[in-house]
Amino acid sequence: MSKTASSKETKEKKETAPTGIGGGSIRDALLVPTLAVITGLIIGGIVMLVSGSNPIQAYGALFAGSFGSPSAILSGLQAYFATGDNTLLIKSIYPFTESLVTATPYIFAGLAAAIGFRAGLFNIGAEGQFFIGALCSAFIGYSIKDLPMIIHLPLALLGGALGGAIWGMIPGYLKARFGAHEVVNTIMMNWIAFRLSDWLLKGPMQASNFRPVTPNVFASAELPRFFEAPLRFNLGFFLALLAAYLVYWFLFKTTLGFEVRSVGANPDAAKYAGMNIIKNFVLVMSLSGALAGLAGTAQVLGVDHWVGQGFSAGYGFDAIALALLGKSHPVGVVLSALLFGFLRSGATNMQSVAGIPIDIISIIQGLVIVFIAAPAIIRWFYRIKSLKIDEQTVLTRGWGK
Amino acid sequence: MANVLELQGITKRFPGVLANDKIDITLREGKILALLGENGAGKSTLMNILYGLYKPDEGKIFVRGKEVHIDGPNDAIAQGIGMVHQHFMLVPVMTVTENVMLGIEPTKNGVFLDQEKVAKRIAEISNQYGLEVDPASYIKDLPVGIQQRVEIIKVLYRNADILILDEPTAVLTPQEVEGLFKIIATLIKAGKSIIFITHKLKEVLAIADDISVLRLGRMVGSIEPNKATPEKLASMMVGRDVSLVVQKSAPKPKEAVLKVENLFVRDERENLTVQGVSFEVRKGEVLGIAGVQGNGQTELVYALTGLSSAESGTIELNGKNLQNATPRQILESGVSHIPEDRQRHGLILSFPIHDNMMLCTYYQEPFAKGISLQEKAILSNAEALVKQYDVRTPNIYVNAGTLSGGNQQKVIVAREFSRPIELLIASQPTRGLDVGSIEYIHKQIINKRDEGTGVLVVSSELDEILALSDRIAVIYKGQIMDILDAKKASKEDLGLLMAGIHPSTSPKKK
Amino acid sequence: MKKLYFVSALLIIASMVLTACGGGTPATEAPVATEPAMVYKVGMVTDLGGIDDKSFNATAYAGVQQAIDELGVSGKYLESTQQSDYAKNIQQFVDEDTNLIVTVGFLLGVDTAVAAKANPETKFAIVDYSYPDCFGEGFVEGQTCGSASELPNVLGLTFDIDQAGFLAGYAAAASSKTGKVATWGGINIPPVTSFMVGFEYGVNYYNTQKGANVEVLGWDTAASDGSFIGNFESLDDGRSITESLVQEGADVVMPVAGPAGLGGAAYCKETASCWVVGVDTDWTVSASEYSDVVLTSVLKNMNVAVFETAKSIVDGTFAGGVYSGTLANNGVGLAPVAGASDELKAELETIKAGIIDGSIATNP
Repeated sequence: MSKTASSKETKEKKETAPTGIGGGSIRDALLVPTLAVITGLIIGGIVMLVSGSNPIQAYGALFAGSFGSPSAILSGLQAYFATGDNTLLIKSIYPFTESLVTATPYIFAGLAAAIGFRAGLFNIGAEGQFFIGALCSAFIGYSIKDLPMIIHLPLALLGGALGGAIWGMIPGYLKARFGAHEVVNTIMMNWIAFRLSDWLLKGPMQASNFRPVTPNVFASAELPRFFEAPLRFNLGFFLALLAAYLVYWFLFKTTLGFEVRSVGANPDAAKYAGMNIIKNFVLVMSLSGALAGLAGTAQVLGVDHWVGQGFSAGYGFDAIALALLGKSHPVGVVLSALLFGFLRSGATNMQSVAGIPIDIISIIQGLVIVFIAAPAIIRWFYRIKSLKIDEQTVLTRGWGK
Repeated sequence: MANVLELQGITKRFPGVLANDKIDITLREGKILALLGENGAGKSTLMNILYGLYKPDEGKIFVRGKEVHIDGPNDAIAQGIGMVHQHFMLVPVMTVTENVMLGIEPTKNGVFLDQEKVAKRIAEISNQYGLEVDPASYIKDLPVGIQQRVEIIKVLYRNADILILDEPTAVLTPQEVEGLFKIIATLIKAGKSIIFITHKLKEVLAIADDISVLRLGRMVGSIEPNKATPEKLASMMVGRDVSLVVQKSAPKPKEAVLKVENLFVRDERENLTVQGVSFEVRKGEVLGIAGVQGNGQTELVYALTGLSSAESGTIELNGKNLQNATPRQILESGVSHIPEDRQRHGLILSFPIHDNMMLCTYYQEPFAKGISLQEKAILSNAEALVKQYDVRTPNIYVNAGTLSGGNQQKVIVAREFSRPIELLIASQPTRGLDVGSIEYIHKQIINKRDEGTGVLVVSSELDEILALSDRIAVIYKGQIMDILDAKKASKEDLGLLMAGIHPSTSPKKK
Repeated sequence: MKKLYFVSALLIIASMVLTACGGGTPATEAPVATEPAMVYKVGMVTDLGGIDDKSFNATAYAGVQQAIDELGVSGKYLESTQQSDYAKNIQQFVDEDTNLIVTVGFLLGVDTAVAAKANPETKFAIVDYSYPDCFGEGFVEGQTCGSASELPNVLGLTFDIDQAGFLAGYAAAASSKTGKVATWGGINIPPVTSFMVGFEYGVNYYNTQKGANVEVLGWDTAASDGSFIGNFESLDDGRSITESLVQEGADVVMPVAGPAGLGGAAYCKETASCWVVGVDTDWTVSASEYSDVVLTSVLKNMNVAVFETAKSIVDGTFAGGVYSGTLANNGVGLAPVAGASDELKAELETIKAGIIDGSIATNP
């Protein structure tokens, strides 16, 4: 290596200090996504302006709807400390907690897609796994009576994870065994899940002979809520954070995760190193399915307590965007899920106060994804000089073997 | 004679790097200028400036005495400058004709593509310069050497008379190199001028009229071929004296470590590419497998290392049957493998060096306890190996992909040598590396041999085979033609064997 | 548990303080209305179909719009994109001190009941649903909502759609040339099947009146079963089931499946082999591209019901319980029948009167 070359690298090293195993440079990791979000919001504002709305009012309402009003919180706190009456306080933190509630399934689903990407697998079936997970946990939740929570809740959680895992494992096995591409198979599994849930909701799992919804789960299977109604903030959010930590630990601190990442980054080298690629495909698809299943489970046990048609708002598909935005890193996924959660949750207030259709949020999300997927646009726009791309996330491999 | 191209004081800075520092070069009309330098010396940057892909920070470019500004490939083409890239810019699913006309499609009546006109012109160019190629065939069906011809035709089709050939021999077999040199000679005869970029010394001496050497972005000097020797050029490139000959003592071979008998292997397309190969490798010796690329070497190594399964035959390591064992079983039996394609098999480029340093043993102590990776052990292992094997890197946290080819290869060598091994299989161990790295890796391989390890070296570079081997097996069309004692083997005989001919005067077949 | 409560509260408060330092926009203080006169607020929460569904939500909102225009109330809607939005959107309106919250569709049943119990001052109306059966079998008593008597501030807006279906069945039988008419549904649930029951009864009435023998395909009231595609979204499914019913000989088809029904209309239009009977809204308006194959439409006049409810708020006459839309109160109806003879028109009027006075039964 030449002198200039090494001096170049030392310089780069200064800019992008290593953060240890599994880490990249924090600046590099955050710069483009942050700018992408800002740009998305700006363009969304332009769209509002063009369609005759006031973007400042809209974003004000969005902010208030996702974080709450600071002055209301302060007065809520004052009232609480002065009189011990928490009504105002509860009301003022409602928007913020709702955002966290909305972010919870996003975290799980984003982790599901991310762990797939890490192994070079495109799990487009998170949506189906989400449904299966939700149905399994709902079934355990409403069909078993008189269990103590300490048994019932973990059982329902486990059931949801297991259901999703099986739904993910099938395409994983088909790929490993027959080389069938997981994109095709997971899409097929989605349709099977959708039709299966149609049938279950109309048939065996129907609450009454009138509406195609499941019965409510028993209180012993519900994820406990931390505040009184209408606050729906529940244990699910912390379970999601725990899942993110476990995924991080699995991917970066264990030999199994090392295999998964190796298979994803370079399957030829993984084979050369003696890793069992087939085993990893099945393992990763199962884990991914379990996480997607938990997304549905957390939604049922924590928020809705029953499953009806249209239970998911496309979490499984947003999952891919989340993983992309979060660079398939658990921390990134959590951050992007929070972003989506706050946008989605605040949108209700924006729709109500500013009269902006909630679809604008989809536009902003779409723009952010485009900018993340094509970072060159952002670099060009903000004249960012040759950012070093350290770790190109492998999204998927070619068709077949 | 007129200077057709002159670069004066070209300087190009990248953030933190001076890629080109006041470089002057001159190309005489109808001559071949060889631009020599190690990987990363600034050759490619310079040529990209000439081709309009980069803008120089300082300096002037003169074409036929007139100063020009080149703002992109189209400007370069307009000045008669054409470039044949090291990695071909061809569309595999298109025909030769379609590829040639890509970007300047001529039309009939303003609408319809006029392929016949292009095909006719291609035929003319082919005849004129001896560039035989069928305009109707698809790129994906053509061997690499022919693809390169298509690239040259593309350039000539655009009426270039200054040709830049970027590492044109890197991907070619010796025979194809011969063919290329003939084509170059025809081009020169027709009055074209050529810049030939390479780091291979012998090629330079064989064809260049002028030689300019770059090192670390600077012009080290120009030298005439008749005054140059390989040693002289090497020391100009590397900046110190380099030994081109591997110093080694006589081998002390012991019992066989690897026995291969009557091995048949199919490749990915189910062709039987290894057809009944038998040989053995003894402890403390280097067996070289010589042969033109594509005669079954790759599949042979894949079968030996478990990357693919053998059709039939036996593979025994220390008496243990390893036929169709998994890569891990083979690895754990004490086999190290320096793979032919280091970026495909040998490394995970997007992983940091420390992870690549334990790629095969990540699940063993001390790197793992149970399923938990032991960060400390992983890092200290990498630190030690980087130091021991002289891997030039800012630290062990950078991704392997950021290293130069030579240092990537050193990472693989370090990893593969760092565990106790019985047998080393080194496939094309120095392909694409610069002189300094080749010297280093050859030394390491000989050290391993002297420690008593059996070594199997597979290389399509005859010089490398001759430098390293104690015995040489020549493979041709999936069969071993002969196994010779390296000391008695002449280059000529090996060349004939590689072409599938038993030299009548050579030593009798064993 | 205590600890978690504490920690999470702490986290939230900490981040709130941070946000406060960051300087939040005070746009949250909703523009304070300074009108001295009381302006009643009406808010509508859609189901997943969205406001532009040309069906339930659109029709219900037309009632809100009418109330805005004629009663001077202020009104707006919130769209739901997923199940968990229902509660959130309702809560948004509660927080804005909305006087009447209209929720659309049975899927909002649980969340409407929960909110109604928690906010007894606020009035609610739920379209196409009536309590007290919000528990159903398997629901845990008292967990989600009580019986209707516990919800005096909720009005369920239901529709005796079999009355209008009856008229459509009669008109279809009168218009059929093949002697076979058909109906099919999205899912086999009462809100869907009551259309089909009325339809079959109407055809049977035609047969007894005229001594004809028009056959109904796709539904059998006695067996309580028929042809269903299992969803309300797939236009392809709607198309193929229509195709097979037409091939069995039907030349009038009534799809009771929301948007999926349009697949059937598309098939009829392309092949010009059948009439369709629209449902919920007048398809010659809401699906005008198919108007030349629409025989008539079975109208569920949710706009009328919603408007009436809003009016009761303004008048101060609101009472919980159940509103039934009938032919009598124009809550349901039949759109004009394409190419109907004066004779048929007169017959339909007579039958309508018979249904209203109870002399003609439209269901078992």
